[in-house]
Amino acid sequence: MTRIPGLVLLCLFLAGLAHAQTPDAPMKVAKPSSEDRLFESDIRPLFTKHCLACHGADKPKGDFRLDKLNADFGDTATLDHWQRVLKRVRAGEMPPQSRPRPEKTEIEAVTSWIQSRLELAEKARLAEGRVVLRRLNRVEYGNTVRDLLGIEVDLEELLPLDTPAHGFDNVGEALHVSSFLMERYLEATDVALNAAIANGPKPVLLKKRYDLRDERHIKVTTEKVFRKQDDGLAMFTSSAWHQIVLTQFYPKDRGRYRFRISAYGTQSAGKPVSFRVMGGPMLMGTKNHIIDYFDVPADKPTVIEFTDYLEARSHIALLPYGLQHANHVNKIGADKYDGPGLVVQWVEVEGPLHDTWPPPGHRGIFGDLPQGKAPVRDDSQRVEVASKTPEEDAQKLLHRFARRAFRRPVTEKEIQPYLGLVKNRLGKGYSFEKAMRVGLKAILVSPEFLFLKERPGKLDDFALASRLSYFLWSTMPDEELLFVAEKGELGRPDVLRAQTERLLKDPRAKAFTVNFVGQWLNLREIDATAPDFRLYPEYDELLKVSMVKETHLFFEELLRDNLSLTNFVSSDFSLLNNRLAKHYGIPGVDGQVFRKVMLPKNSHRGGVLTMASVLKVTANGTSTSPVMRGSWVLDRILGKPPLPPPAGVPAVEPDIRGAVTMRQQLAKHRQVESCAACHVHIDAPGFALESFDVIGGWRENYRSLGKGEPVMIDGKRMPYLKGPRVDPSDVLPDGRKFRDIDELKNLLLEDKDQLARALTQRLLIYATGAPVRAADHKQVEAIVEKIRGEEYGLRFLVHSIIQSEAFRNK
Amino acid sequence: MTLTRRGFLKAGAVSLALPWLEALAPATPGAPAGPPRRMVCICTPLGLHAPHFFPANRGRDYTLTPYLEILREHQNEFTVISGLSHPEVESGHDSIFSFLTAAPHPERRAGFRNSISLDQFAAEHLGERTRFPSLQLSHEGFTLSWTRTGAVVPADTSPARVFARLFLDGRPDEVQAQVRRLQDNQSILDTVSEQAGTLRKGLGSGDRGKLDEYFSSVRELERRMVRAEEWVVRPRPRVEVPQPRDIPSSADLIGRTRLLFELTHLALQTDSTRLVTILMGGTSLVPPIAGVSLDHHNLSHHGQDPDKLNQLMRVEQETLRVLNDLLGRLRNTREEGETLLDRTMVFFGSNLGNGNSHSCRNLPVLLAGGGFRHGQHLAFDPASPLPLCNLYLSMLQRLGIEVDRFGSSTGTLTGL
Repeated sequence: MTRIPGLVLLCLFLAGLAHAQTPDAPMKVAKPSSEDRLFESDIRPLFTKHCLACHGADKPKGDFRLDKLNADFGDTATLDHWQRVLKRVRAGEMPPQSRPRPEKTEIEAVTSWIQSRLELAEKARLAEGRVVLRRLNRVEYGNTVRDLLGIEVDLEELLPLDTPAHGFDNVGEALHVSSFLMERYLEATDVALNAAIANGPKPVLLKKRYDLRDERHIKVTTEKVFRKQDDGLAMFTSSAWHQIVLTQFYPKDRGRYRFRISAYGTQSAGKPVSFRVMGGPMLMGTKNHIIDYFDVPADKPTVIEFTDYLEARSHIALLPYGLQHANHVNKIGADKYDGPGLVVQWVEVEGPLHDTWPPPGHRGIFGDLPQGKAPVRDDSQRVEVASKTPEEDAQKLLHRFARRAFRRPVTEKEIQPYLGLVKNRLGKGYSFEKAMRVGLKAILVSPEFLFLKERPGKLDDFALASRLSYFLWSTMPDEELLFVAEKGELGRPDVLRAQTERLLKDPRAKAFTVNFVGQWLNLREIDATAPDFRLYPEYDELLKVSMVKETHLFFEELLRDNLSLTNFVSSDFSLLNNRLAKHYGIPGVDGQVFRKVMLPKNSHRGGVLTMASVLKVTANGTSTSPVMRGSWVLDRILGKPPLPPPAGVPAVEPDIRGAVTMRQQLAKHRQVESCAACHVHIDAPGFALESFDVIGGWRENYRSLGKGEPVMIDGKRMPYLKGPRVDPSDVLPDGRKFRDIDELKNLLLEDKDQLARALTQRLLIYATGAPVRAADHKQVEAIVEKIRGEEYGLRFLVHSIIQSEAFRNK
Repeated sequence: MTLTRRGFLKAGAVSLALPWLEALAPATPGAPAGPPRRMVCICTPLGLHAPHFFPANRGRDYTLTPYLEILREHQNEFTVISGLSHPEVESGHDSIFSFLTAAPHPERRAGFRNSISLDQFAAEHLGERTRFPSLQLSHEGFTLSWTRTGAVVPADTSPARVFARLFLDGRPDEVQAQVRRLQDNQSILDTVSEQAGTLRKGLGSGDRGKLDEYFSSVRELERRMVRAEEWVVRPRPRVEVPQPRDIPSSADLIGRTRLLFELTHLALQTDSTRLVTILMGGTSLVPPIAGVSLDHHNLSHHGQDPDKLNQLMRVEQETLRVLNDLLGRLRNTREEGETLLDRTMVFFGSNLGNGNSHSCRNLPVLLAGGGFRHGQHLAFDPASPLPLCNLYLSMLQRLGIEVDRFGSSTGTLTGL
């Protein structure tokens, strides 16, 4: 703690210390009250007696100063600091064991004083509501505009990144607006309206079957890695440069396309063969997306069917997975080669798929108004919506649109500014459609659209509907939810419960998994580092996408079946495909389709801590750090985030030359008492996770690039060497010992309430877009209490969050 | 004949530098007088290997290090500075948030709030003078620039697009459409801002703060659009180089950086802007550089592995070569008898002092140009580091802005 804006004067007076203040910080002087006097007379002396020796102005331990702390609980920074003090003192962690213990009465005096002040401060805050007015973040904005206009265009790309706070990017206090953002909104709105409004005839439906043998790449390649068969093309290599781009398919209209691929595995010893399909422009360096990995069985032609949204002038591309390197096949020649391959018989494409024209998004705006010819320079076919009674139509259409955009009923009066704008444009000679576009655009950049507006106190049904749908769908309420809100029934617990169930069962609930789990467990950072290929030659793209998918599916499984949240720490099953099972050393999982797999006893897997995804995002591409992983576990799983490292203490420099382990480097650290205070908590889970490398593989020894013995796998010498042995054992701060991760998991399971508390807090932050503070802790405890009786079921927890006061009040 | 930029450039034919034209600049009250001063801030986000960068000895007669050797021809036009860091910005990549702002504790994330960046602070004083108040360029899309309220100022990644915005005039009908769009947008902003009064009613102070931020953003954008409308009908300066083609591969650290640097030079010499920030790449991809087989981020976590250190050196040496080219271009461009480099501060550094450990102490810092007395190694004690903002304050004052404090500054940088 070093800077508490706003209390500087008081601090100067109390501590007699010069204090740098930011130029922009507001000056606020707390009025002395009886509470402040109590603080000065009874509380501060206790801190002076027991704490200031370490936490004073001179080299404060943990960079935490108590000499400047004061009694203005209205200031959130001060409030947070008091919360930290309370937590540490209550837990008996401070003062540390090595110091004289304060009297019980002294501890009681301090904790009850802090507690009562925290509650008072919270009451004041609650009168305003704990959730500050928040704007849609870029994900929510993208989803909302897409749903509102019935389009599939990627709008997120057009907006700057949001700054996350308290672990999530939907926390209102950190979601700012700037003129730059407003400018981007205007641009995104143009893109969205252009995509939604149909200015041409219905695109011609393409329906065609293609033959990969006709692809140019097959004709020109000099490597003998393909075999032209009577029934199709056999592909024998997974080398990336032999990916087959289906150049024959090059649509001129964007839209959703249906693909059917007939294929089978050949010479694969009865095993299925997998392949990847990508979509995108397929030009060098452009952004393409993985559509999916698919399996086809051996020797039995099988049709794979999927749809995908593609921009105009895109292709799809196919590449078998897990087959031989091209050089190897080429040496033998595809005709004689007897290793496994993929035969693709044909690829069928149908699209763009439009059930109606103009599309639903267009009609959502303009209803059934007719279109008339409106040719321009380079498009003689162009049409525009026309109206015989433009002003009346504009009023009707804007009204209907605004209700959906604002996610609540709107009055005629509220429409007036937008209608006025349209009328003004009509007066300037704009066509009806052009004038309407200006009005629509204004609605889409208005605060009523961009912000989730909530009044202090109990949420009205519409605010509640929005909170619910942004929590579970990251988008606006659908018609049914709005309808229930309009009937005034959403506030009823049974109706709210039923709607929650409905939303959770809807495919849109995928957003909950992706956005909540993606941030809670950091999965969004999966690409932040690329593993060193000399140390981790086995790492590939399928492994990466499979890692993330496992964690997503695992969360969804717990949520769907209301399984205990303790499964996040330890579980006897997971969801795996062949690639991941191979990575984990679990036999009997063929093909890349994910399925529920019961884990063998000695697998060391089960729960998110030992998932490859989590192990990867908590490491860099080269080395693991028990400190990083340990703090991560404390923060994300145990809900006890460690204090940040003190200023000026350098991080341990990783050394992969094989001579020294991280543990040896850290040992020095832990001998210093002030370091040990935190590291005794942090390092233990970190050491247990040392059994896993940077891509989440099990290891008995570190891999080294300097010293060590050679490593052979399947008769091949690996580019890395066998480094020092891993020692995953350690001791928890309370003295409980563990030998490895399996034992640690069991120890963590002993305090199920704490696991529940940690997850509840995370969920509550994400669900409401506001941090969990002192006054919310009672509610958190109430929820923990409730779900304890329900065996900590995850679905039950989500319901409990939604039914809680915190969720139903601003 | 009315004086237009294009007219002038044509008249000057091959003249590269555009003299600063007081007549064209809208006068801003309180804006500094004198010759135009410019500032380019460049960050390489994975650090620079310190032993290859910092000289061992201080003062004017320091020995060039492997990296500084590359800049030898400019040795008297830059100062290398050691021992600077941002107080209260701790280890980690998140320090990038605070590189030009010095906002405390980005690494804690919770409760972090950014503050105005050096360039945007300067733009508040100088921005009105040029077509673009500032340019934000970036290899991957993240930004160095932040507003006063801590909102992102988005960065451009496409040199081709930026070039078009700077130098290509549309067809008359396109210009007309652009004017119409700006007018529509102004009316739209006008319409929403009229609702401020009704919306604020009944809100708590926190909510009101949020809404006020929205409305002030709307008003600021309106103002910017009014100015954009003036500029849009004014022909853009013409340059004698073709529009660059974007490099699609984000692995190509050096190629992309070169394009951004060349664009920066063009933007400055045509006085299209005076403030540029450039966030270079730091990807998990292998840059196409001879002798480099591992990705850049990975190399920065070298773990003392000699091979990695060697590859890292190659990457960073190439980076310094591109910087050397930029300094050369600026020096070879003249404006009113001075070199453009004399009027342009080029600040080059990193938010990481040590990529291997993520440390944010002893940041690599180099300041070139801007008319300072260069040619030395200013060495401050890393054990009691001086705030990097002291340098920032010196830079702001050099821009002619009357200010005595920025971020965590405790004064200007002594010895510069």
